[in-house]
Amino acid sequence: MDFFSAIQSNLLSPAVLFFVLGIFAAVTKSDLKFPESLYSTLTIYLLIAIGFKGGVAINEAGIGVVWLPAAAAMTLGGLIPLWTYPVLRHFGKFSIADAGAIAAHYGSVSAVTFIAATNFLKSINQPYETYASAFLAVMESPAIIVGVMLGKGALGGKFSLSDQGVRHALRDSVLGKGVLLLIGSMIIGALSGKGGMASVEGFFVMPFQGVLALFLLEMGMVAGRRLGDLKKVGFFLLLFGISAPILHGSAGVLLGHLVGLSTGGATLMGVLSASASYIAAPAAVRLSLPEANPTFSLTAALAITFPFNITFGIPLFHELAKHLHV
Amino acid sequence: MSLYPMKLVTIVCEAILEERVVELLRQAGAHGHTAFSVRGSGNQGERHADISETGNVQVEIIAKPAVAEALLKRLHSELFSSYAMVAYESDVRVMRPDKF
Repeated sequence: MDFFSAIQSNLLSPAVLFFVLGIFAAVTKSDLKFPESLYSTLTIYLLIAIGFKGGVAINEAGIGVVWLPAAAAMTLGGLIPLWTYPVLRHFGKFSIADAGAIAAHYGSVSAVTFIAATNFLKSINQPYETYASAFLAVMESPAIIVGVMLGKGALGGKFSLSDQGVRHALRDSVLGKGVLLLIGSMIIGALSGKGGMASVEGFFVMPFQGVLALFLLEMGMVAGRRLGDLKKVGFFLLLFGISAPILHGSAGVLLGHLVGLSTGGATLMGVLSASASYIAAPAAVRLSLPEANPTFSLTAALAITFPFNITFGIPLFHELAKHLHV
Repeated sequence: MSLYPMKLVTIVCEAILEERVVELLRQAGAHGHTAFSVRGSGNQGERHADISETGNVQVEIIAKPAVAEALLKRLHSELFSSYAMVAYESDVRVMRPDKF
Protein backbone atom coordinates (compact mmCIF):
# COMPACT_ATOMS: atom_id res chain seq x y z
CA MET A 1 0.00 0.00 0.00
CA ASP A 2 1.45 3.37 -0.90
CA PHE A 3 1.77 6.28 1.51
CA PHE A 4 -1.29 8.22 0.38
CA SER A 5 -3.68 5.32 0.36
CA ALA A 6 -2.33 4.40 3.81
CA ILE A 7 -3.19 7.90 5.06
CA GLN A 8 -6.56 7.64 3.43
CA SER A 9 -7.40 4.27 4.93
CA ASN A 10 -6.24 5.55 8.33
CA LEU A 11 -8.47 8.61 8.09
CA LEU A 12 -11.43 6.42 7.18
CA SER A 13 -10.97 3.98 10.08
CA PRO A 14 -13.84 3.92 12.60
CA ALA A 15 -11.50 5.05 15.39
CA VAL A 16 -10.41 8.24 13.62
CA LEU A 17 -13.92 8.96 12.35
CA PHE A 18 -15.34 8.66 15.87
CA PHE A 19 -12.61 11.01 17.05
CA VAL A 20 -13.78 13.54 14.45
CA LEU A 21 -17.38 13.03 15.58
CA GLY A 22 -16.27 13.82 19.13
CA ILE A 23 -14.58 17.04 18.00
CA PHE A 24 -17.76 17.97 16.14
CA ALA A 25 -19.85 17.32 19.26
CA ALA A 26 -17.58 19.55 21.36
CA VAL A 27 -17.37 22.36 18.83
CA THR A 28 -21.14 22.46 18.34
CA LYS A 29 -21.62 22.33 22.13
CA SER A 30 -23.75 19.21 21.85
CA ASP A 31 -25.31 17.86 25.03
CA LEU A 32 -23.44 14.58 24.49
CA LYS A 33 -21.46 13.77 27.60
CA PHE A 34 -19.72 10.63 28.84
CA PRO A 35 -20.16 9.84 32.52
CA GLU A 36 -16.86 9.88 34.40
CA SER A 37 -17.28 6.24 35.35
CA LEU A 38 -17.52 5.20 31.69
CA TYR A 39 -14.35 7.06 30.79
CA SER A 40 -12.50 5.37 33.66
CA THR A 41 -13.92 1.97 32.69
CA LEU A 42 -12.81 2.32 29.06
CA THR A 43 -9.33 3.42 30.16
CA ILE A 44 -8.96 0.45 32.50
CA TYR A 45 -10.18 -1.92 29.79
CA LEU A 46 -7.79 -0.61 27.13
CA LEU A 47 -4.77 -0.65 29.45
CA ILE A 48 -5.45 -4.18 30.69
CA ALA A 49 -6.13 -5.47 27.17
CA ILE A 50 -2.86 -4.16 25.70
CA GLY A 51 -0.87 -5.03 28.83
CA PHE A 52 -2.16 -8.58 28.79
CA LYS A 53 -1.54 -9.04 25.07
CA GLY A 54 1.98 -7.69 25.52
CA GLY A 55 2.58 -10.06 28.43
CA VAL A 56 1.52 -13.09 26.41
CA ALA A 57 3.85 -11.94 23.63
CA ILE A 58 6.74 -11.60 26.11
CA ASN A 59 6.01 -15.13 27.28
CA GLU A 60 6.36 -16.36 23.69
CA ALA A 61 9.32 -14.24 22.60
CA GLY A 62 11.25 -14.53 25.87
CA ILE A 63 12.42 -11.61 27.99
CA GLY A 64 15.88 -11.87 26.38
CA VAL A 65 14.45 -10.39 23.17
CA VAL A 66 12.45 -7.65 24.86
CA TRP A 67 14.90 -6.01 27.25
CA LEU A 68 17.12 -4.25 24.69
CA PRO A 69 14.41 -2.40 22.72
CA ALA A 70 12.59 -1.68 26.01
CA ALA A 71 15.73 -0.15 27.53
CA ALA A 72 16.28 1.86 24.35
CA ALA A 73 12.68 3.14 24.45
CA MET A 74 13.01 4.09 28.10
CA THR A 75 16.27 5.96 27.48
CA LEU A 76 14.83 7.88 24.55
CA GLY A 77 11.78 8.86 26.65
CA GLY A 78 14.02 10.20 29.39
CA LEU A 79 16.24 12.08 26.94
CA ILE A 80 13.51 13.86 24.97
CA PRO A 81 12.93 16.52 27.70
CA LEU A 82 16.66 17.33 27.68
CA TRP A 83 16.48 18.84 24.22
CA THR A 84 12.88 20.03 24.17
CA TYR A 85 13.45 22.05 27.37
CA PRO A 86 16.19 24.35 25.98
CA VAL A 87 14.27 24.79 22.72
CA LEU A 88 11.15 25.85 24.62
CA ARG A 89 13.18 28.14 26.90
CA HIS A 90 15.21 29.91 24.22
CA PHE A 91 13.02 29.91 21.13
CA GLY A 92 9.60 29.67 22.74
CA LYS A 93 10.48 32.08 25.58
CA PHE A 94 8.65 29.91 28.09
CA SER A 95 9.29 30.16 31.82
CA ILE A 96 11.40 27.48 33.51
CA ALA A 97 8.30 25.78 34.93
CA ASP A 98 6.34 25.91 31.65
CA ALA A 99 9.26 24.59 29.60
CA GLY A 100 9.79 21.74 32.09
CA ALA A 101 6.08 20.94 32.07
CA ILE A 102 5.80 20.82 28.28
CA ALA A 103 9.03 18.79 28.04
CA ALA A 104 7.61 16.25 30.50
CA HIS A 105 4.42 15.86 28.43
CA TYR A 106 6.34 15.34 25.18
CA GLY A 107 8.82 12.85 26.58
CA SER A 108 6.05 10.81 28.16
CA VAL A 109 3.67 8.80 26.00
CA SER A 110 0.02 8.46 25.01
CA ALA A 111 -1.41 4.96 25.29
CA VAL A 112 -4.28 5.73 22.92
CA THR A 113 -1.92 6.94 20.20
CA PHE A 114 -0.03 3.66 20.59
CA ILE A 115 -3.25 1.65 20.37
CA ALA A 116 -4.36 3.57 17.29
CA ALA A 117 -1.00 2.74 15.72
CA THR A 118 -1.33 -1.01 16.40
CA ASN A 119 -4.78 -0.74 14.86
CA PHE A 120 -3.37 0.92 11.77
CA LEU A 121 -0.68 -1.75 11.40
CA LYS A 122 -3.30 -4.48 11.69
CA SER A 123 -5.50 -2.84 9.08
CA ILE A 124 -2.68 -2.75 6.51
CA ASN A 125 -1.53 -6.28 7.47
CA GLN A 126 1.83 -5.09 8.73
CA PRO A 127 3.13 -7.51 11.37
CA TYR A 128 4.66 -6.03 14.53
CA GLU A 129 6.18 -7.19 17.82
CA THR A 130 3.14 -7.62 20.07
CA TYR A 131 5.37 -7.17 23.13
CA ALA A 132 5.78 -3.50 22.10
CA SER A 133 3.31 -2.57 24.84
CA ALA A 134 6.27 -3.12 27.17
CA PHE A 135 7.84 -0.02 25.57
CA LEU A 136 4.68 1.92 26.31
CA ALA A 137 4.84 0.87 29.96
CA VAL A 138 8.46 1.91 30.50
CA MET A 139 8.29 5.18 28.56
CA GLU A 140 5.65 6.85 30.68
CA SER A 141 7.58 7.78 33.83
CA PRO A 142 11.20 8.74 32.99
CA ALA A 143 10.29 11.87 31.05
CA ILE A 144 7.89 13.06 33.74
CA ILE A 145 10.64 12.82 36.33
CA VAL A 146 13.22 14.56 34.10
CA GLY A 147 10.74 17.26 32.99
CA VAL A 148 9.68 18.01 36.57
CA MET A 149 13.31 18.26 37.68
CA LEU A 150 14.04 20.70 34.84
CA GLY A 151 10.90 22.68 35.61
CA LYS A 152 11.91 22.94 39.26
CA GLY A 153 15.12 24.63 38.15
CA ALA A 154 17.47 21.65 38.26
CA LEU A 155 19.77 23.39 35.77
CA GLY A 156 20.19 26.29 38.19
CA GLY A 157 20.80 23.93 41.11
CA LYS A 158 17.38 24.66 42.60
CA PHE A 159 15.97 21.23 43.16
CA SER A 160 15.37 19.07 46.15
CA LEU A 161 13.90 15.60 46.42
CA SER A 162 12.37 16.48 49.78
CA ASP A 163 9.95 18.89 48.08
CA GLN A 164 6.46 17.57 48.82
CA GLY A 165 5.17 18.24 45.32
CA VAL A 166 8.10 16.43 43.76
CA ARG A 167 7.55 13.40 45.96
CA HIS A 168 3.88 13.28 44.94
CA ALA A 169 4.86 13.48 41.28
CA LEU A 170 7.44 10.74 41.57
CA ARG A 171 5.00 8.44 43.30
CA ASP A 172 2.21 9.22 40.87
CA SER A 173 4.32 8.71 37.78
CA VAL A 174 5.84 5.45 38.96
CA LEU A 175 2.83 3.96 40.74
CA GLY A 176 0.00 5.73 38.92
CA LYS A 177 -2.90 3.62 37.68
CA GLY A 178 -1.62 3.65 34.08
CA VAL A 179 1.73 2.09 34.86
CA LEU A 180 0.26 -0.20 37.50
CA LEU A 181 -2.40 -1.62 35.16
CA LEU A 182 -0.04 -1.97 32.20
CA ILE A 183 2.81 -3.65 34.08
CA GLY A 184 0.44 -5.65 36.27
CA SER A 185 -1.53 -7.12 33.39
CA MET A 186 1.67 -7.65 31.44
CA ILE A 187 3.02 -9.82 34.26
CA ILE A 188 -0.31 -11.67 34.40
CA GLY A 189 -0.21 -12.19 30.63
CA ALA A 190 3.40 -13.39 30.78
CA LEU A 191 2.61 -15.85 33.58
CA SER A 192 -0.58 -17.23 32.07
CA GLY A 193 0.69 -17.38 28.47
CA LYS A 194 -1.26 -18.67 25.51
CA GLY A 195 -3.67 -20.74 27.59
CA GLY A 196 -4.55 -17.68 29.64
CA MET A 197 -5.09 -15.68 26.47
CA ALA A 198 -7.52 -18.29 25.14
CA SER A 199 -9.65 -17.94 28.28
CA VAL A 200 -9.97 -14.13 28.18
CA GLU A 201 -9.77 -13.56 24.42
CA GLY A 202 -13.53 -13.21 24.05
CA PHE A 203 -13.51 -10.22 26.37
CA PHE A 204 -10.15 -8.53 25.88
CA VAL A 205 -9.52 -9.06 22.16
CA MET A 206 -12.79 -9.36 20.25
CA PRO A 207 -14.58 -6.19 21.53
CA PHE A 208 -11.35 -4.17 21.53
CA GLN A 209 -12.02 -2.21 18.33
CA GLY A 210 -15.46 -1.16 19.49
CA VAL A 211 -14.17 -0.01 22.86
CA LEU A 212 -11.41 1.96 21.15
CA ALA A 213 -13.98 3.67 18.91
CA LEU A 214 -16.04 4.65 21.96
CA PHE A 215 -12.95 5.91 23.72
CA LEU A 216 -11.88 8.02 20.76
CA LEU A 217 -15.32 9.58 20.59
CA GLU A 218 -14.72 10.81 24.13
CA MET A 219 -11.16 11.87 23.29
CA GLY A 220 -12.53 13.88 20.39
CA MET A 221 -14.79 15.77 22.78
CA VAL A 222 -11.94 16.39 25.22
CA ALA A 223 -9.65 17.59 22.41
CA GLY A 224 -12.45 19.62 20.80
CA ARG A 225 -13.05 21.59 23.99
CA ARG A 226 -9.38 22.57 23.92
CA LEU A 227 -9.52 23.95 20.37
CA GLY A 228 -10.62 27.34 21.69
CA ASP A 229 -7.37 27.54 23.67
CA LEU A 230 -5.28 27.31 20.50
CA LYS A 231 -5.46 31.08 20.17
CA LYS A 232 -4.06 31.47 23.68
CA VAL A 233 -0.98 29.29 23.22
CA GLY A 234 0.59 31.20 20.35
CA PHE A 235 2.16 30.29 17.03
CA PHE A 236 5.36 28.86 18.46
CA LEU A 237 3.58 26.10 20.39
CA LEU A 238 1.49 25.26 17.33
CA LEU A 239 4.66 24.77 15.33
CA PHE A 240 6.23 22.85 18.20
CA GLY A 241 3.17 20.60 18.51
CA ILE A 242 3.67 19.41 14.92
CA SER A 243 7.45 19.48 14.53
CA ALA A 244 8.27 17.82 17.87
CA PRO A 245 6.35 14.63 17.01
CA ILE A 246 7.90 14.49 13.52
CA LEU A 247 11.41 14.83 14.97
CA HIS A 248 10.88 12.51 17.95
CA GLY A 249 8.97 10.00 15.83
CA SER A 250 11.79 9.82 13.28
CA ALA A 251 14.32 9.36 16.10
CA GLY A 252 12.14 6.59 17.53
CA VAL A 253 11.83 4.78 14.19
CA LEU A 254 15.58 4.99 13.69
CA LEU A 255 16.31 3.74 17.20
CA GLY A 256 13.79 0.91 16.77
CA HIS A 257 15.53 -0.07 13.55
CA LEU A 258 18.95 0.03 15.23
CA VAL A 259 17.90 -2.27 18.08
CA GLY A 260 16.58 -4.77 15.57
CA LEU A 261 12.83 -4.24 15.54
CA SER A 262 10.78 -5.11 12.45
CA THR A 263 9.10 -2.43 10.29
CA GLY A 264 5.98 -2.69 12.46
CA GLY A 265 7.92 -2.55 15.74
CA ALA A 266 10.04 0.41 14.61
CA THR A 267 6.83 2.20 13.59
CA LEU A 268 5.44 1.67 17.07
CA MET A 269 8.59 2.93 18.75
CA GLY A 270 8.40 5.98 16.51
CA VAL A 271 4.76 6.58 17.39
CA LEU A 272 5.50 6.25 21.10
CA SER A 273 8.36 8.75 20.90
CA ALA A 274 6.19 11.13 18.87
CA SER A 275 3.23 10.95 21.22
CA ALA A 276 2.68 13.31 24.13
CA SER A 277 1.01 12.36 27.40
CA TYR A 278 -2.26 14.02 28.30
CA ILE A 279 -3.38 12.03 31.34
CA ALA A 280 -0.44 10.84 33.45
CA ALA A 281 1.86 13.80 32.80
CA PRO A 282 -0.73 16.55 33.37
CA ALA A 283 -1.77 15.14 36.76
CA ALA A 284 1.81 14.60 37.97
CA VAL A 285 3.02 17.94 36.60
CA ARG A 286 0.09 19.89 38.05
CA LEU A 287 0.97 18.65 41.52
CA SER A 288 4.71 19.13 41.27
CA LEU A 289 4.94 22.26 39.09
CA PRO A 290 1.86 24.26 40.09
CA GLU A 291 3.35 27.47 38.69
CA ALA A 292 3.32 26.01 35.16
CA ASN A 293 0.27 26.95 33.11
CA PRO A 294 -1.54 23.71 32.18
CA THR A 295 -3.19 25.41 29.19
CA PHE A 296 0.13 25.35 27.30
CA SER A 297 1.07 21.72 27.80
CA LEU A 298 -2.44 20.26 27.62
CA THR A 299 -3.51 22.20 24.56
CA ALA A 300 -0.33 21.32 22.71
CA ALA A 301 -0.49 17.63 23.65
CA LEU A 302 -4.21 17.18 23.21
CA ALA A 303 -5.39 19.62 20.56
CA ILE A 304 -2.32 19.63 18.30
CA THR A 305 -0.03 16.62 18.72
CA PHE A 306 -2.63 13.93 19.43
CA PRO A 307 -4.80 14.68 16.37
CA PHE A 308 -1.68 15.07 14.21
CA ASN A 309 -0.32 11.69 15.28
CA ILE A 310 -3.50 9.67 14.86
CA THR A 311 -4.22 11.12 11.41
CA PHE A 312 -0.90 11.75 9.66
CA GLY A 313 1.85 10.81 12.12
CA ILE A 314 1.19 7.08 12.25
CA PRO A 315 1.27 6.48 8.46
CA LEU A 316 4.27 8.81 8.22
CA PHE A 317 6.34 6.84 10.76
CA HIS A 318 5.31 3.60 9.10
CA GLU A 319 6.53 4.96 5.77
CA LEU A 320 9.85 5.93 7.36
CA ALA A 321 10.24 2.50 8.94
CA LYS A 322 9.51 0.84 5.59
CA HIS A 323 12.24 2.86 3.88
CA LEU A 324 14.78 1.98 6.56
CA HIS A 325 14.08 -1.71 6.10
CA VAL A 326 14.59 -1.80 2.37
CA MET B 1 -32.85 18.63 71.84
CA SER B 2 -29.83 20.90 72.09
CA LEU B 3 -27.71 22.00 69.16
CA TYR B 4 -24.14 23.26 69.34
CA PRO B 5 -22.50 25.82 67.02
CA MET B 6 -19.77 24.53 64.71
CA LYS B 7 -18.13 25.66 61.44
CA LEU B 8 -18.68 24.05 58.06
CA VAL B 9 -15.68 24.56 55.76
CA THR B 10 -16.34 23.96 52.06
CA ILE B 11 -13.45 23.62 49.63
CA VAL B 12 -13.95 23.32 45.87
CA CYS B 13 -10.70 22.52 44.07
CA GLU B 14 -9.01 20.62 41.25
CA ALA B 15 -9.65 16.91 41.74
CA ILE B 16 -5.93 16.09 41.74
CA LEU B 17 -5.60 18.14 44.93
CA GLU B 18 -8.01 16.01 46.97
CA GLU B 19 -5.30 13.95 48.63
CA ARG B 20 -3.27 17.01 49.62
CA VAL B 21 -6.31 18.85 50.95
CA VAL B 22 -7.32 15.86 53.05
CA GLU B 23 -3.79 15.52 54.40
CA LEU B 24 -3.82 19.21 55.28
CA LEU B 25 -7.20 19.17 57.00
CA ARG B 26 -6.15 16.20 59.14
CA GLN B 27 -3.05 18.13 60.17
CA ALA B 28 -5.19 21.15 61.03
CA GLY B 29 -7.15 18.99 63.44
CA ALA B 30 -10.34 18.08 61.55
CA HIS B 31 -11.69 14.63 62.41
CA GLY B 32 -13.29 13.74 59.11
CA HIS B 33 -14.47 14.97 55.74
CA THR B 34 -16.90 14.32 52.91
CA ALA B 35 -15.85 14.64 49.26
CA PHE B 36 -17.77 14.48 46.01
CA SER B 37 -17.02 15.08 42.33
CA VAL B 38 -18.44 18.30 40.95
CA ARG B 39 -18.26 20.33 37.76
CA GLY B 40 -18.52 24.02 37.03
CA SER B 41 -16.60 27.04 35.84
CA GLY B 42 -14.46 29.79 37.30
CA ASN B 43 -11.87 32.37 36.36
CA GLN B 44 -9.46 29.61 35.32
CA GLY B 45 -11.92 28.14 32.83
CA GLU B 46 -14.52 25.38 32.73
CA ARG B 47 -14.00 22.17 34.65
CA HIS B 48 -15.56 19.11 33.06
CA ALA B 49 -16.25 16.06 35.15
CA ASP B 50 -15.89 13.34 32.52
CA ILE B 51 -12.19 12.76 33.21
CA SER B 52 -11.56 12.47 36.91
CA GLU B 53 -8.10 14.04 36.61
CA THR B 54 -9.44 17.25 35.11
CA GLY B 55 -12.61 17.52 37.17
CA ASN B 56 -13.30 19.35 40.39
CA VAL B 57 -13.90 17.98 43.82
CA GLN B 58 -15.83 19.48 46.71
CA VAL B 59 -14.56 18.68 50.19
CA GLU B 60 -16.64 19.49 53.26
CA ILE B 61 -15.52 19.45 56.86
CA ILE B 62 -17.36 20.28 60.06
CA ALA B 63 -14.96 21.45 62.75
CA LYS B 64 -14.48 23.69 65.78
CA PRO B 65 -13.99 27.37 64.89
CA ALA B 66 -10.29 27.30 65.78
CA VAL B 67 -9.67 24.29 63.54
CA ALA B 68 -11.63 25.87 60.69
CA GLU B 69 -9.57 29.03 60.95
CA ALA B 70 -6.28 27.15 61.06
CA LEU B 71 -7.32 25.15 58.01
CA LEU B 72 -8.33 28.20 55.97
CA LYS B 73 -5.05 29.93 56.88
CA ARG B 74 -3.02 26.98 55.65
CA LEU B 75 -5.05 26.69 52.43
CA HIS B 76 -4.39 30.38 51.88
CA SER B 77 -0.65 30.19 52.43
CA GLU B 78 0.04 26.83 50.73
CA LEU B 79 -2.41 26.26 47.89
CA PHE B 80 -4.46 29.31 46.88
CA SER B 81 -1.78 30.97 44.78
CA SER B 82 -1.04 27.86 42.69
CA TYR B 83 -4.35 26.14 42.08
CA ALA B 84 -7.88 26.76 40.93
CA MET B 85 -9.85 26.62 44.15
CA VAL B 86 -12.27 28.35 46.52
CA ALA B 87 -12.82 27.78 50.21
CA TYR B 88 -15.33 29.29 52.61
CA GLU B 89 -16.77 28.67 56.03
CA SER B 90 -20.31 28.90 57.30
CA ASP B 91 -22.10 28.44 60.59
CA VAL B 92 -23.83 25.17 61.27
CA ARG B 93 -25.28 23.56 64.37
CA VAL B 94 -24.67 19.96 65.27
CA MET B 95 -26.10 17.53 67.79
CA ARG B 96 -22.95 15.77 68.95
CA PRO B 97 -20.18 18.36 69.33
CA ASP B 98 -17.60 15.85 70.60
CA LYS B 99 -17.73 14.12 67.19
CA PHE B 100 -16.02 17.08 65.56
